[in-house]
Amino acid sequence: MKLSSLGYLIKEGFKNIRTNRMMTLASIVVLASCLIITGAASLISVNVSTLISKIGDDNELTVYLDLELNNIDSIKLGAELKKIKNVERCTYYPKDEAIKEYKENLGDVYESMQGDGNPFPNAYKVQIDDLSKYKETVSQIKKIDGVDSVSDRSGIASALTKLNYFVTIVGFWLVLILAVVTMFIISNTIKMTMYSRRYEISIMKSVGATNRFVRIPFVVEAMTIGLLSGVLASAVLLLIYDPVRQFGAGIVRMIGTSTIPESQIWLPLVVTMSCVGMLIGLVGGSVSITKYLKKEGGGILGW
Amino acid sequence: MIHLENVSKVYSNGTEALKNIDLDIQNGEFVFIVGPSGAGKSTFLKLLMHEEKATFGKIIVNGYNLMKIKKRRVPYLRRTMGIVFQDFRLIEKMSVYDNIAFAMRVIGKPEKVIKKRVKQVIRLVGLEGKDKRRPNELSGGEQQRVSLARALINKPELIIADEPTGNIDPERSYDIMKMLSVISERGTTVVVVTHEHDLVNEFGGRVLWIEDGEIVSDKFIPTKYHSKEPYIDNTDNTDKTNTEVD
Repeated sequence: MKLSSLGYLIKEGFKNIRTNRMMTLASIVVLASCLIITGAASLISVNVSTLISKIGDDNELTVYLDLELNNIDSIKLGAELKKIKNVERCTYYPKDEAIKEYKENLGDVYESMQGDGNPFPNAYKVQIDDLSKYKETVSQIKKIDGVDSVSDRSGIASALTKLNYFVTIVGFWLVLILAVVTMFIISNTIKMTMYSRRYEISIMKSVGATNRFVRIPFVVEAMTIGLLSGVLASAVLLLIYDPVRQFGAGIVRMIGTSTIPESQIWLPLVVTMSCVGMLIGLVGGSVSITKYLKKEGGGILGW
Repeated sequence: MIHLENVSKVYSNGTEALKNIDLDIQNGEFVFIVGPSGAGKSTFLKLLMHEEKATFGKIIVNGYNLMKIKKRRVPYLRRTMGIVFQDFRLIEKMSVYDNIAFAMRVIGKPEKVIKKRVKQVIRLVGLEGKDKRRPNELSGGEQQRVSLARALINKPELIIADEPTGNIDPERSYDIMKMLSVISERGTTVVVVTHEHDLVNEFGGRVLWIEDGEIVSDKFIPTKYHSKEPYIDNTDNTDKTNTEVD
């Protein structure tokens, strides 16, 4: 195909968008909504997976001491902890520091809470050497007098794994259903465009235009709708990503890890959403055009 | 050249539209196809344009064997013919110029060539000064001239006109037929389907009468019309070949 023809065809595709702007707008809104739901499910899944892998890699335990234990006894307990073979390092984490961090995480929410006592116990952050002896080490720690509990991170990891599994399964079906819905929407938009241009198509075919030549403007239109929807969906997701992340930050920090910052997510998000949008446009558009191009002469006009 | 050998067309609903047609139309012939409604005239044109495929027989149009032609070759067959429809089939949102140029654009001709050729064809059909108008600003006769110009723009070997005067007044019908006659005189094969016997008698030529799917009469009627004005298509013929661009 000649470059001049390609330029003409692309221009025609954009002209279609302008001509059918209401239908195009409706398609973009619906497709973007579907992409937002799909993208949100994917972002949750990616963040949960990251949390799981971070927890898996982490060999730090939090040992909570009895609430009644005073500071001197708490420091003495630290020496007991250091005696355990698998303990590489242990750091004292006094309850004053815990409440300070809690206040920082909750901000105004904390201020509105009732009561002024410190509900947190003193604690130790314990670094263990060999993760395979995790359970054995935990049981040794629990035997020490004055130890109330040990953070069981294997439980959190397993809960997150279940959550991730759920998000993945639900996400998969959601993506599948929404992909079909959006393809249907794009396909309908293209069908309407083709209907409004049926004379042109019939004339094009009667004067010897190839199917590829007829198809290109419609594919350009469908892919542009997909691209714009992808960009719109990623913009909305990026707008809500940080506030949602801040909201969950307290919980996430309590389990000693963090989610993916927006700076790391925006580029892959925009690229993926745009590509997925264009792909849906390409498939949805091509299916309806291919069906239509099989018609000839009066069949094109009569449908 | 058109060659049909024992051609039959049976539609999927069982209708036998054409029965054992044998026909040869030579280059430059002017042929009228006449007959009552439902006789098979439209089917005959559809077979020539390859909008329908014959059930049996052999069809050769402008060197293409339509029984063996591959789908991807059909556009190239159509580039050898120009089609004039009863309802003009002009694109309302396009100007006269663009409606005509459209037929060259879709086969990938460069804008420079298009500009030159459209100007010539507009002059040929007598629409000078109206190139910027929209179809709805033209009379029926003028719209059909645009349609004719579009059919001529790619210098086809064959012009197929399906009831070209069906939607225009008698005076303009005469003008359109005059143009088709002049085109034929210059060596282009012209096949016209019509119901208007007065025009057939006036312009004459080869007249095929189709009835009930069969050619019941094939005769030559001498013309009463003689073109007074010479055909002035002063275009060079270097661009005559329908190159396979898409």
